[in-house]
Amino acid sequence: MATSPATILRNPRQWLGQLPLAFAVAVVAYAIIDGGYIVTVVGFALIYAVFVAGLNIFMGYAGQTSFGQNAFAAIGGYASAVLTATYGWPPLAGIVAGMAGAVVCALLIGMPTLRLKGHYLAMGTLAIGLIVYEIAVEWQSVTNGYMGISGIPPLGIGSWELESDRAQLIFLAIVTALSLWATWRLRQSRFGRALVALSGSEDAARALGINVGRTKLIAFVISAMFASLAGSLLVHIVGFISPEMIGMNMVILAFTMLYVGGIGTTTGPLIGAVVIGLLPEVFRGLKDYQDLVYGTALILILIYAPGGIASLGRLAPKRRAAR
Amino acid sequence: MLDPVFLAQTILNGLSVGCIYGLIGIGFCVIYNASGIVNFAQGAFVMMGGMITHVLMQQHLPLIPSALLAIIVVALAGVVIERIVVRPLWDRKATMFVMILATLAAQIVIERLTLMLVGDQPKSIAVFTDLPPIKLAGVAIGYQTLWIMGTSLVLIAALGLFFQKTLVGRAMRACAINREAAALQGIVVSRMLAMSFALSAALGAIAGILVTPTQFTAFNVGTPFAISGFIAAIVGGFGRPFGAFLGGLLLGLAQALAVFGLGSGLKNMAALSVLLIFLFLRPSGILGSAK
Repeated sequence: MATSPATILRNPRQWLGQLPLAFAVAVVAYAIIDGGYIVTVVGFALIYAVFVAGLNIFMGYAGQTSFGQNAFAAIGGYASAVLTATYGWPPLAGIVAGMAGAVVCALLIGMPTLRLKGHYLAMGTLAIGLIVYEIAVEWQSVTNGYMGISGIPPLGIGSWELESDRAQLIFLAIVTALSLWATWRLRQSRFGRALVALSGSEDAARALGINVGRTKLIAFVISAMFASLAGSLLVHIVGFISPEMIGMNMVILAFTMLYVGGIGTTTGPLIGAVVIGLLPEVFRGLKDYQDLVYGTALILILIYAPGGIASLGRLAPKRRAAR
Repeated sequence: MLDPVFLAQTILNGLSVGCIYGLIGIGFCVIYNASGIVNFAQGAFVMMGGMITHVLMQQHLPLIPSALLAIIVVALAGVVIERIVVRPLWDRKATMFVMILATLAAQIVIERLTLMLVGDQPKSIAVFTDLPPIKLAGVAIGYQTLWIMGTSLVLIAALGLFFQKTLVGRAMRACAINREAAALQGIVVSRMLAMSFALSAALGAIAGILVTPTQFTAFNVGTPFAISGFIAAIVGGFGRPFGAFLGGLLLGLAQALAVFGLGSGLKNMAALSVLLIFLFLRPSGILGSAK
């Protein structure tokens, strides 16, 4: 299920599987060198890669379900927006405050919610995502409702701001690389093995001495931190936040990226985010049919390639052998 | 401050929309019982029911044939979704989550196709009986409310007969209790799956047709209805069709009272809170889970 770069490199036949990653990295590099319009597109994709990487820990590694990750992106996004735009905090402090808030909320939400299983868990998390959306709309005095909050400063430390698009993109690329590296380290750790164990069978994991409840909760909190970070980055790059940015469509888009890239793989989130992020740019006429194409693509991938692009190279030789 | 007539009116309206939630909730249960699948495209059926009826009536077709035609078309659409989305995943033994995601994606596809075909303007259909509401001790009872409640009760009775007396209905119940054992009795479980999608889509369509005159319909009304229907099903004890109807009434009531007491901005929040309360405190619902 999970593939580390190390095991892939040991088997030359699986090098093919690294092609999508090479493509994604090449796109990011091209955007950094080229500058221009593509920077916006790739920057957006990288932010989503961070979000999806967090989702991947909870869903790919631990095999759980969360339809409500947008709640934590909202917490990060609104914390950053309100603290920097309204109270004049430095961006970094806003991001940290948002992540701290997300951790507290994830603990409080996770404790009752993660006891649920199957479609109950799906629905419970979906409800949480929708409730946070409703709060963002209704809590006018803080969130400014549908109008949203604008005038959010760009990222920076002290007086030094990441003003140019290119500098921002390089920063996002570093954050994304660190995020993916962190998820990979996490997967390799004792904790990561515990997650994969409980995704296979909770009873078996419990028999091995894994505290299933606590392990799931920690995974949920970690993925909430990633979501919060992504939310903060998003509002700083765009300079604006409104409830629509953190609604249900964020979750659906993230799921599509996760499945296209390959759920449970380390590099899948980046690949999925770049491929899905580029789609509407490559096919210009597609813009009007964007959601239609995403939906159809998602169905086809779920049916015919449940492992996503990252797994295609791995699947190809196996299939040939099977025939 | 507290106006009893207004309160009674609120309760009546809550129960009326609760019937709609209940019918959608039953749709969830019918599919879940036959297959263990939670079909998140349920809301699309509701939207299609109202929308197709609207489009047909635009072509100067009278209400009854339009509605019947819409129900048939939506039931067929249910079978199509079952064939091209659910069945391939079912055959590949996809996980519960993948199934939810795929049906959700199917809902999005239907929504977007509808948007392309009819545009984003809200549409409505005329009330079935265009007479002034009946006044009962100051409470206005609209004919559409009577239509909704009457049709719902007739449908409940018909469903009861269907599940008790007919071979197909009893086969569906057998699948709900134990699919393997049902298969060993010669019941073609996969055919039950297709039939349950048709039945549940038809129920959704009827709910959509009934509710459209009181509100409006647009390409994106499906999701809120699906969520309400799902909450109704959870409150009733998932997999219990009549529990789901009861759950729908309860949800409609809770929502109406929340709007009455706290303002209309909290309508969705009230529904979601009902869901979370039941999930956390009594996930098996008021009647207890079917399994």
